[in-house]
Amino acid sequence: MKKRHLAGPFRAAALVAIAGLCLLMWLPAALSQEDIKELKPEALAPQTRPAAFFMHDAHNEKAGIDDCTACHHGKDKDGKMDPEDNSAGTACVDCHAVNARTGTPLKRAYHQQCISCHEQKNQGPTYCGGCHKG
Amino acid sequence: MQTLYNFATGPLLWASFAIFLAGSVWRIYSMIALARKKEMSVYAYMSWGFSFRSIFRWLTPFGTLGWKANPAMTVGTFAFHLCLLLLLLFAPGHAEMWDYNFGLAIWSLPEWLADTLTVVVIACCAFFAFRRLRVPAVRYVTTTHDWAVLLLVFLPFISAFLAKMQLGNTLFMTLLHVLSAEAVLIAIPFTRLSHAIFSPFTRAYMGSEFGGVRHCPDW
Repeated sequence: MKKRHLAGPFRAAALVAIAGLCLLMWLPAALSQEDIKELKPEALAPQTRPAAFFMHDAHNEKAGIDDCTACHHGKDKDGKMDPEDNSAGTACVDCHAVNARTGTPLKRAYHQQCISCHEQKNQGPTYCGGCHKG
Repeated sequence: MQTLYNFATGPLLWASFAIFLAGSVWRIYSMIALARKKEMSVYAYMSWGFSFRSIFRWLTPFGTLGWKANPAMTVGTFAFHLCLLLLLLFAPGHAEMWDYNFGLAIWSLPEWLADTLTVVVIACCAFFAFRRLRVPAVRYVTTTHDWAVLLLVFLPFISAFLAKMQLGNTLFMTLLHVLSAEAVLIAIPFTRLSHAIFSPFTRAYMGSEFGGVRHCPDW
């Protein structure tokens, strides 16, 4: 029996459609690069609780934060925390190792960054399930 | 509710610890003074050897006639107290509090095990309630006070479980967990929960009297 093939123009259209679908697969990853929705650092895998829900832009708009260093602090020459130094763009884990013996380990750094600010301002959740939503 | 949670985990927590500690010291001190006034013989009979012999014997499941006579209660009470202590010290959520507040990375139970132990404690509370309702001898001596402390001890566990499973309002459940646990802490010196601080002393005295006076074991 003779095999049936799609005609030329249809074949080209199908190929374009498939290629388009393949590109769409990258869309969620591309979007999450631009708008952070949760904090789920690979370094802390396997996570034992749901990832911390965090809408970067919406959070900062609501909290009235314009200054990146409010969260993205850096370090001075001695490696001590420097609240003036802007570290935006650097991953937290680059300085805060998961099992750091000196300095602040990664998970504690996240908790201190979020909870202590929420406590000081008396705004935002300070209980486990407030951020770690399943 | 969030503001109340911050208050409950801040000033209220320290107040609860203070009341618990001061209350416990006061209760033990007044009991010592009372014994000195009315029962001086207590001090004459007290012996370290007989005390620890009795305490260890009664800490052994099915190690005494009393434990053997009520197998269900023995399993229930050992499971309840062991799980309660393990969760208090090593629940993953509690470990996170040590880590966040004091920078102490302590060992903690795996999540699945902590969840299981919580269910065991809740089941034990149900068993204690059933016993108070259905066993005539127990029912006869049960007072409102007993029901109140059972409910009080049950609350931190059911709220912890529901908060962890994110069933219901998680903030409300977590707040209930903190407030009820603080209520338990405050209630320990002043209610029947005082067995937590008095039981080693009563056991030590029983052991000493049976060992030193009657010359027989107290189990």
